[in-house]
Amino acid sequence: MEKEPFFSAKNLKLLTEPLGRSNPVTVLVLGVCSALAVTVKLEPAVAMAVAVTAVIAVSSFIMSLLRSTIPNRIRIIVQLVIVSLMVILVDQVLRAFAYDVSKQLSVFVGLIITNCIVMGRIEAFALGNKPWPSLIDGIGNGLGYGMILVAVSCCRELLGSGTLWGYRVIPSSFYIANGGVYENNGLVILPPMALILLGIIIWVQRSRSKNPAKR
Amino acid sequence: MNKDSNQYIYLYSIALVVAVAAVLSVVATLLKPFQQKNVEVEKKQSILLSVHKAAGVKKAKSKAQHIEDEYAKYITGSYIVSSLGATQEGDAFAVNLEEEAAKPAASRKLPVFICSDDDSTLKYVIPVRGTGLWGPIWGYVALHDDFSTIYGVVFDHQGETPGLGAEISTPEFQRQFAGKQIFDATPMFTSVKVVKGGNTRGRPHEVDAISGGTITSQGLEKMLLDNLSAYLPFFKEQQRMQGAKQRQREREKKEKEEEEERALLQAKQDEAARIARWAAAASAAQALQKDTTGAAPAEKEESKPVEQAENL
Amino acid sequence: MGDVVNIFVKSVFIDNMIFAYFLGMCSYLAVSKSVKISAGLGLAVLFMLAITVPISYLLNRYVLSSGALAWVSESLRGIDLSFLSFIFFIAIIASIVQIVEMVVERFAPTLHSSLGIFLPLIAVNCAILGGSLFMQERGYQTLGEAAAFGLGSGVGWLLAIVGIAAIREKLAYSNVPAPLQGLGITFIVTGLMGIAFMCFMGIKL
Repeated sequence: MEKEPFFSAKNLKLLTEPLGRSNPVTVLVLGVCSALAVTVKLEPAVAMAVAVTAVIAVSSFIMSLLRSTIPNRIRIIVQLVIVSLMVILVDQVLRAFAYDVSKQLSVFVGLIITNCIVMGRIEAFALGNKPWPSLIDGIGNGLGYGMILVAVSCCRELLGSGTLWGYRVIPSSFYIANGGVYENNGLVILPPMALILLGIIIWVQRSRSKNPAKR
Repeated sequence: MNKDSNQYIYLYSIALVVAVAAVLSVVATLLKPFQQKNVEVEKKQSILLSVHKAAGVKKAKSKAQHIEDEYAKYITGSYIVSSLGATQEGDAFAVNLEEEAAKPAASRKLPVFICSDDDSTLKYVIPVRGTGLWGPIWGYVALHDDFSTIYGVVFDHQGETPGLGAEISTPEFQRQFAGKQIFDATPMFTSVKVVKGGNTRGRPHEVDAISGGTITSQGLEKMLLDNLSAYLPFFKEQQRMQGAKQRQREREKKEKEEEEERALLQAKQDEAARIARWAAAASAAQALQKDTTGAAPAEKEESKPVEQAENL
Repeated sequence: MGDVVNIFVKSVFIDNMIFAYFLGMCSYLAVSKSVKISAGLGLAVLFMLAITVPISYLLNRYVLSSGALAWVSESLRGIDLSFLSFIFFIAIIASIVQIVEMVVERFAPTLHSSLGIFLPLIAVNCAILGGSLFMQERGYQTLGEAAAFGLGSGVGWLLAIVGIAAIREKLAYSNVPAPLQGLGITFIVTGLMGIAFMCFMGIKL
């Protein structure tokens, strides 16, 4: 079998497809759970996206490396163990070097283990493909997931706190308390809005896509 | 070896478990000191915030270093207080409030941190811990050295609702506490109540509750009451000692003033006596001179000492 | 006692696994649109939560948390195994799913054929792991509190799922714009239901 160059067109497609046509969240309906609860502000959403990408990519890579050695009967268990290992590593690193962010993410880092994207991609791709493409597929899906998270959290932070990444965007003088007419929208900070925003994003994406998406 | 044979499965599982456990243990042990430090820095930052000192954190290049420096500069001491008000030896920073709450009241260790402020006064920081609507709430209360007036507070929570209960961790809410008193004039312990309309003038023992955050506000009030009353023997003892010290100081001051007054009076009398003697000597000399020279020059000299004696 | 009831009611309505934290929606969304199937799935999740949360509590209290191993021997007090929490919790969940599946298959084959497909799905359901993780984070003090939390979360999840499925069934008769059909409208409806559930927030028992 010919060895494919690292950055062949086929591999690049693995990276770009999840950003649009096969976005894991909006099209494949995976990974919704933990996605939305951390999108109140931009910074934890990005941290979460990076964490998930790292977990998917490395777990896919390792599972792909091991794919020919795993006994069938304990396949799911091995998957769970490897994914848990990665998640614990990510959690420990966050607590050591990005303590404030890890406090905001709290239990949702642990929930990456059950994030459907991770298991889904391992089953669907990594177990049947070579390590390097699996890694790229993992990164691509992670980025697709991250894209959605960033979109939702930008809206929520901007409308709900008037800031982006902690930096004030809507000038303080606009606020009613300071003599202006503007007030932060308290509703978007509450959990249900994340779902509604996601529904709207799906609506927009599907209207624009040429292929009729599956229900 | 057959991949699906039992033997293979067992060996594989064992190998996997050992490998995973090894990696995790190594990483966890390596990272533990960093994680520990983060928790400590956060605690120090909270303590500093309650005495209004950690403002420069955002601009600092290394947040941890800045907090450590500020802490070392301002928090100059700490001790543990027993439930009877006696100070004991111990590391106040290491006291875990959650653990202490589980112990019977008589054996609890109550930490106190002392802040030496820029204006050379001392402020005393008391940690507090309680329950909000969704989970624990905690914070630090900084008192002036009269152990009654609040200098500043800082509160935090785990899962209160943003915009409602979570407001307790905002500067706007915490600002109200500065200047409020936990003892009234008698002095009776009143703590600070968190009620509607509490922050109007003339209400030194109340602050505004959060609209929509009733349960959290009530939890906060209870937290303050419970935690601060545990220190009552300590406060009363300190106030008594301070009262005694104050009286002692006043006594000493009074004595010193009286002493000074006496000395001054004495000095005046001495001076008057001296001048009188001098006047007497002068007039005696004058009398002598009158006999020998003339009257005019002596008169002038005579009037001067009399004037001086009168002016005293 | 009042505390336990309080925790139970809070986890059913206010801290609802779906409306407040969105846990467990993946598998649900992909699987069903009818009330009957959702009820089955909900019951399975309820069962799992009610069992795994108390077990995880015991594990956390006596093995994992810092100083927990002191009951074995004083010298082990300094050990902190909390970094192994995730693996232990997921191991418990996977094992219980396996055991339950075997038991159901053996003793109630009919039940197995209708509910059986859900069980492997549930092993990776965010809600179950979420239950254990929240229990650990919130530091419940007694087994009773942890059990109330597990039970309450399960009931809340069941209620939410059945509610959403019922609405989805009715939605089949409405004129939803094509791109919004299916997933999009479900999210929006769930969001609206979440807002409605928030009216329970001021409850004081």
